[in-house]
Amino acid sequence: MPTHDPRPVPSRSRATRREFLKRAGWTTAALTPLLAGSSRRRAFAQTASPYPDWMPPSPNPPKRGKLLTRASAWDPPVLDPRLTNSVGLSQFAALTSNRLVRYPYSDEAANSTDLTLKGDLAESWQGSPDFRVWTFKLRKGVKWHNVAPLNGRELVAADIKYCYEQYAKEGVQSFTFQEIEGIETPDKYTVRIHLKTPNTMFPQNLAEPVSIIFAREVLEEDGDLKKRLIGTGPYMIKENTRKVRLVLTRNPDYFDAGRPYIDEYHILSTPDAATRLAAFRSGQSDIHFVASVSDAANVKKTTPAAVVQEYKTVQTVFGLALAQDKPPFNDVRVRRAISMAIDRQRQVDTIYGGHGILGWGIPYFYFQDKMPTAAQLGPYWQHKPAEAKKLLAEAGHPNGFESTLFYYEYFPEMSSQVQVVQQDLKKNLNIDIKISKLDYTTFYGRYAEGKWDGMAWGFKTGYATGLDEQTYQYMHSKSTKNYWRFSDPVIDELVTKLRRTPDRAEQRALTKKVFEREHDQVTRMWMPYDSGFLVWQPNLRNTGSLALRRNDGYGASTLARLWIDK
Amino acid sequence: MAIATAPGRAFDQPVTEQVSRSRALWAVIKRKPLGMISAGLIIVLVLTAIFANVLAPYDPLAAQPEIRLAPPSWAHPFGTDDIGRDVLSRVIYGSRISLWVGLLAVGIGTCAGMIIGLVSGYWEGRLDLVLQRVMDALMTIPGLILALAIVSVLRPSTTNAMIAIAMVIIPGNSRVVRGAVLSAKQNRFVEAAQAIGCRDYRIIASHILPNVTAPILILASIWLGNAILIEASLSFLGVGTQPPTPSWGLMLSSTGRAFMEQAPWLAIFPGLAISLAVFGFNLFGDTLRDAWDPKLRRKG
Amino acid sequence: MYKYVARRLAMSIPVLILSSLIVFGLMRVMPGDALTALMGESGNVSPKELEKLRRDLGLDLPYYKQYLIWAWQMLSLNPGDSIFTNEPISVALKKSIPVTVELAVLAMILGLVIAVPIGVISATRQDKASDYAGRVAAITGLSLPDFWLGTLVITFAAIWFRWIPPLGYASLWDNPWTNLQQFLLPAAVLGFRLSAATMRMTRSTLLEVLREDYVRTAWAKGLGERIIIYKHALKNALIPVITLVGGQFGTLLAGTVIVETIFALPGMGRLTVEAILFRDYPIVQTNVMLVAVTLVTLNLIVDLSYAWLDPRIRYQ
Repeated sequence: MPTHDPRPVPSRSRATRREFLKRAGWTTAALTPLLAGSSRRRAFAQTASPYPDWMPPSPNPPKRGKLLTRASAWDPPVLDPRLTNSVGLSQFAALTSNRLVRYPYSDEAANSTDLTLKGDLAESWQGSPDFRVWTFKLRKGVKWHNVAPLNGRELVAADIKYCYEQYAKEGVQSFTFQEIEGIETPDKYTVRIHLKTPNTMFPQNLAEPVSIIFAREVLEEDGDLKKRLIGTGPYMIKENTRKVRLVLTRNPDYFDAGRPYIDEYHILSTPDAATRLAAFRSGQSDIHFVASVSDAANVKKTTPAAVVQEYKTVQTVFGLALAQDKPPFNDVRVRRAISMAIDRQRQVDTIYGGHGILGWGIPYFYFQDKMPTAAQLGPYWQHKPAEAKKLLAEAGHPNGFESTLFYYEYFPEMSSQVQVVQQDLKKNLNIDIKISKLDYTTFYGRYAEGKWDGMAWGFKTGYATGLDEQTYQYMHSKSTKNYWRFSDPVIDELVTKLRRTPDRAEQRALTKKVFEREHDQVTRMWMPYDSGFLVWQPNLRNTGSLALRRNDGYGASTLARLWIDK
Repeated sequence: MAIATAPGRAFDQPVTEQVSRSRALWAVIKRKPLGMISAGLIIVLVLTAIFANVLAPYDPLAAQPEIRLAPPSWAHPFGTDDIGRDVLSRVIYGSRISLWVGLLAVGIGTCAGMIIGLVSGYWEGRLDLVLQRVMDALMTIPGLILALAIVSVLRPSTTNAMIAIAMVIIPGNSRVVRGAVLSAKQNRFVEAAQAIGCRDYRIIASHILPNVTAPILILASIWLGNAILIEASLSFLGVGTQPPTPSWGLMLSSTGRAFMEQAPWLAIFPGLAISLAVFGFNLFGDTLRDAWDPKLRRKG
Repeated sequence: MYKYVARRLAMSIPVLILSSLIVFGLMRVMPGDALTALMGESGNVSPKELEKLRRDLGLDLPYYKQYLIWAWQMLSLNPGDSIFTNEPISVALKKSIPVTVELAVLAMILGLVIAVPIGVISATRQDKASDYAGRVAAITGLSLPDFWLGTLVITFAAIWFRWIPPLGYASLWDNPWTNLQQFLLPAAVLGFRLSAATMRMTRSTLLEVLREDYVRTAWAKGLGERIIIYKHALKNALIPVITLVGGQFGTLLAGTVIVETIFALPGMGRLTVEAILFRDYPIVQTNVMLVAVTLVTLNLIVDLSYAWLDPRIRYQ
């Protein structure tokens, strides 16, 4: 039994953290071996935070009207969903447009990991027995926004067909839609999609927040979708001033009668983090995101009435990406050695205040009910510096080597992690890393292009909700979203089999095999992570943010069910 | 060309001027307390940079995440940063980076500016015309933007930040040097030396350069402070020094701002260091000007 | 007089051409295409599409042709479109220039309002306590990084007063009250740094002037201190100060970059920096040329006003 509990006591005062640190400091000096040993025997990878991870919907009747504002870090790069899947676009495109199917909203969901597919533009859908033909029946009477050139005309099956065919042609979505062989529209409200190969999870792919239905007339008139975004969704763009603000206003003809509740949603361009926090504190922003427990406590200090929700961590989005299509990282021994040289638990305990996870890439609820334990993450996820050194020597690098690492600081804790990893690798393996901290555009461009050398603090895109997206679309060697540049025939086989398996239990078993294979081959070296916390002004209702669908970003569609109690 | 006597100079040799200059400086420092403070600050800075490895209690790069964000204490007088590194050690080593950045940037900028200004001012003519137009053109681009563009070309790093800052310094320096050279050329001695056929480089060395060194050193002193500030701004924009280098600018702009409320010491100490260094250099430049500017010397 | 004007004008043109060459050259030498940044997010754009885009943007032409095309665009006042957003640059400029101009003007005014009185006090009470206080304040203003001052201001405004300038820029014509609220703090932050330099300049030039003969005569005549300072001395002392302020325009524009980012103002500084980071050549080139033209014009005006004010000054 350790002589003190390194986990922070749930209290919001700064004194507690100082206490913890003072104790940690003293005990570190005197009891380092004991401390290190004890923390590694941790059963679960994440400790509880003082904040709930689910906000149940309000039992009161919703009030209509009012204005919602949010100071946002992201400026939309372009309005064209074919050219970008950036959250800068989704943060409002999810509200101006619909998809064929969707996931539950916060006032419909049973809990934060409820992923029951619901109809958005489609009322019902059915797959053929061989899962190669999917038929969707559209809702009747859905109107496009009453804006030229659509002028409120009805949405028909031909519109869906057009969109999907455009997505398949080129752009970020093409890999998803290229499996479509052909689309029939036997009548105005029926869409029948023929796939080249069976896929039991095809509808889930259509529910991803980036697969929005856009207007044919706009594309034909403008030649691209960069200037106008017109959809069928609960909100319409009233004003879009780059680098200033985006104003969304209620769509009076929205098919979900009675909703949305809020009249206007203003997204204010605020590139600086300190300013965003100041905006929340002064009441100019209603929603704020912070990356760690101590940050949340800090906000609560000055705004005690603010409501904090822990955004449930079910996966990691970031990890150490290696140029593994070339030496030295194409050798699995090198990857395993690096992974074992890094002390993930220490990162969780210190940088994330005990509240992060050790890091895995597939949302755990797709293959088991509880979060993976440290042991389940496999032998190469454990911190074993001596073995690592031996393995690296076997692979031909007894004296280490030099490399580079580039990253963008998505949040301050990431910089801390990068530097700790740099030190771990230097100390344990004599791998000398030169760090390059880049701006967002340079980083994203270089990373997504996939031609970089050395290492990067990489990611898989943050929007994926469905299982097929998380596995086949991200991990198949031929996928354009395989940013990690790995090619593993075992994984290819597993993920292909997975999308053909209709049985739930079998799906879970297969997914678990994919998870285990990934950790065995260290194809994606996931790093510790904390999904963070959302902070709300106290008078907002139905704010619950669901797992994998953060509602200030990719999960913004659920804001249609939000209301303000004033 | 009209003969105008350089103010305040009679038939003294250049060598005598040198002596009187350092004596003048010492006199001013002794008399004005602010001058003494600034000289003291600079000496402290230089000594800290030179003896950093002796003075710093810990390795500035040694991360101990278990004690991260610890407030100042006996063990860590300036507290610890976001991965448990000792802030005092980092601030001490940071003086090396700041001095290095400052000296290199100002060194290159001053030398290059001096050469261009000398060439321009001494030989005049078409070369002067062309060079000065190029300098004017460089000066039309706002300094930070120019530095940002250059660093973007060269890839962000400490060395490249120095080069970028040097490029910002060169045009202004060359102009000042050129002005000093032009006024020195009006000295009777120069005309006489040219008339008897002295070699150009001798004339430059004996008569022109002494006139130029004073304004150059004054400018250099002030630019040393500015260089530190520009490096900090480049770090803020994300293109300056790279982690984990303990540069004051990087410490202030990244962890200092990110943890401003939870751990204000992360910003206070590097910020204080920057301010004191810039303060010292600026004040010293003032003192130099008080001591050496011929116009102000008149008031005795 | 006219010959002087003509000569000065003639000198400005090569300077502008050189500026344009420098900024064009810098943009082309930067690693990383604008297209990499643009297409990086898309990930699956066919090489054919990339080539087509490159051709559309004129990036496949030899450099000298690209330069001539752009030079022509500048001269015909039609700067073309941004690579990233496809929006015409003139639109972006029309929106961002008023922001930066307003910020710069307000900062200069605030700077002068702070600097001149303190400079005067410093000069007239030389070497006394108030002089030291003034000089220390001035140098402190010069020693603080802008981003630090800006961050402090906005953070503690929110914590102590629960108020920050309203986000979401409103133009002066649409909503003057909101606009002033938005610009006051950022202009003060910028102005504080400017005032430092101006304060010192005011002090030193006033010190010089106060020793001039005509001032001594006024003292001897028994005129009151205030009249001497404001009627006689200050006017002459202000000429170099005005030069300095004009020269500070460059620093000012650089300073706006940081202040605009922190206070979320959509000005030219922020536009230019982001364009450099995005490799959006047309915007950077256009903006820098705009600034260059403005600076050259300002210098010209200052020089011409000198020549007009003081007949002894003639261009050599």
